Amino acid sequence: MRIPIIMDCDPGHDDAIALLMAFASDKLDVRGVTVVGGNQTLEKNTLNTLKVLSFAGIKTRVAPGASKPLMRKLIVAPEVHGESGLDGPILPEPTYGVCGLSAVELMVDIIKNSKEKITLVPTGPLTNIAMLFMTHPEVKDKIERISLMGGSAVGGNWTPAAEFNILVDPEAADIVFNSGIPITMCGLDVTHKAQIYSEDIERIRAMGGKVAVMVAELMDFFALFHWRFGFKGSPLHDPCAVAWLIDSSLITTEHCRVDIETEGEFTTGATVADLRPMKRFNCNADVALDIDRERFIDLLCELLQKYD
Amino acid sequence: MRKPIIIDCDPGIDDSIALLMAFASDKLDIRGITPVAGNVGLDKTSINAMKIMEAAGFDCDVSLGASKPLFKDTKDASFVHGQSGLRDIILPEPQKKPTGKAAWDAIYEEAVKCNGELVIVALGPLTNIALTILKYPKIKGLIKEIISMGGSCGLGNDSPAAEFNIYADPDAAQIVFQSGIPLTMVGLDVTHQAVILLDEINEMVSQGKKIDLVEKLFNMTANFCKQFGFKGAVLHDPFAMAYVIDPLVMTTKKFAVEVETKGKITRGKTVVDIYNVTNKEPNIDVGMEVDRERFVALVKELMKKYEV
Repeated sequence: MRIPIIMDCDPGHDDAIALLMAFASDKLDVRGVTVVGGNQTLEKNTLNTLKVLSFAGIKTRVAPGASKPLMRKLIVAPEVHGESGLDGPILPEPTYGVCGLSAVELMVDIIKNSKEKITLVPTGPLTNIAMLFMTHPEVKDKIERISLMGGSAVGGNWTPAAEFNILVDPEAADIVFNSGIPITMCGLDVTHKAQIYSEDIERIRAMGGKVAVMVAELMDFFALFHWRFGFKGSPLHDPCAVAWLIDSSLITTEHCRVDIETEGEFTTGATVADLRPMKRFNCNADVALDIDRERFIDLLCELLQKYD
Repeated sequence: MRKPIIIDCDPGIDDSIALLMAFASDKLDIRGITPVAGNVGLDKTSINAMKIMEAAGFDCDVSLGASKPLFKDTKDASFVHGQSGLRDIILPEPQKKPTGKAAWDAIYEEAVKCNGELVIVALGPLTNIALTILKYPKIKGLIKEIISMGGSCGLGNDSPAAEFNIYADPDAAQIVFQSGIPLTMVGLDVTHQAVILLDEINEMVSQGKKIDLVEKLFNMTANFCKQFGFKGAVLHDPFAMAYVIDPLVMTTKKFAVEVETKGKITRGKTVVDIYNVTNKEPNIDVGMEVDRERFVALVKELMKKYEV
């Protein structure tokens, strides 16, 4: 049986690839897409979502959610994703629009109308998910798991201690990590190992279809930022959260307690994972630590092939 | 020429091994020992320092330091070191008396005498060093460097995010780290690699009968470390001392480091800017790689001094 999921995202280059992978996989049943402010503003992220889905011929319900974090000002990442939030390829205007519901309304609608429990896949700041839990706590029982991209057991990327998605809305992350719902946390520990190299990008471009070529062009732009940090390739952050759901054997995880720092001077947004070698209590997350990169890239190629 | 050093410490079992190494080395000119509260209270760390000194047949000034952290009280590490600080090692009461000078005054006097050559080896919380800097701001140009055992780029030990020595007095640590005095951080990233294996301990103590103290200190450490899955004794403080004696035991890299003093769950975390995302000037030499064989050989060599 396909796993029913909702994608909650802020495309974003790697979000776009995560979406394409999720929709192409016969292991997953994407019931809807909700959008949040993060990599760029909510308006830009929503437009990018619709453009990518339209270009790939995917019709689904898309709902915009929070335009800013619960308590803080929005941080955006034009250094990484460009002014549009999806710089690189020129995509045509979308062929359809948003569904008319808000992100929370769409999630509630999908969850309440589903026979099976739903898995949430957030690949941006956790604002929409926290708002869902605060305004509709009754739906928690019908959520199977959250497979998210965010955080880091060791080190950060936007500050030395914090990863971007969690840093943008640490209070929302705190609510989600204390929700009682099992979490798979694909943080920088694993995503920095999930790099796409130049030769992989050429392999995808050579596949020739328009979606594959678009992905290659997205990755050309994405690489410019990551070379600055001495990376060999670009970390495919968000696709990890999708890849784990499709094939959990790709990724190694450790079960432990994760808490969110919301009050630090230098550490706000840090996901503090208690990975110390001792007896563990109150575990709330499976923290992803390693990935079989070759097989992960093969999976990406295999899924992109389906678009042509 | 021997390196003039002050040993600021809170013995402590691994501190005691570090002291034995220092007393045995012909590379060092020990200008004084300044005990501080940490692993156990100051009353005990000071007595322990003098007991170890007399057991080793060594003598130098001992000047007492701070009995508590700068601002916030903290718990000790009697869980590791026992109520006495030396677990069940019984040594004669010391004949020696402390100088009557405060640690910060003694450190400053030695710094002036040494004309900019003095090295401070800090094996406990950084309270004494912070107080020295606060009382004598001019000392900044007079200290050649501080070698501090403390902190971590990755996980903590006393809390999920913080290493014990920094956690015990984060405010002091932040004062010292930002003082501008050259500082090398010998953190858990390296000390967890500084393991002397069980058979290496056995070989060391059986080749040439040594004073009982040596065998007890090493075996006690190894026994304690076993529960965390280590295959020998993790030598935190001795490794910092080894680096002072022979810098080739460890490589370092310079990063901007801040100490979190405010966080709800990250107080005492050393926040290391590995990717230089803050654009701050790197200020701390952070220990990176350990030459374990070289370190163990040095420990063995120095312990020969204690053959009976």
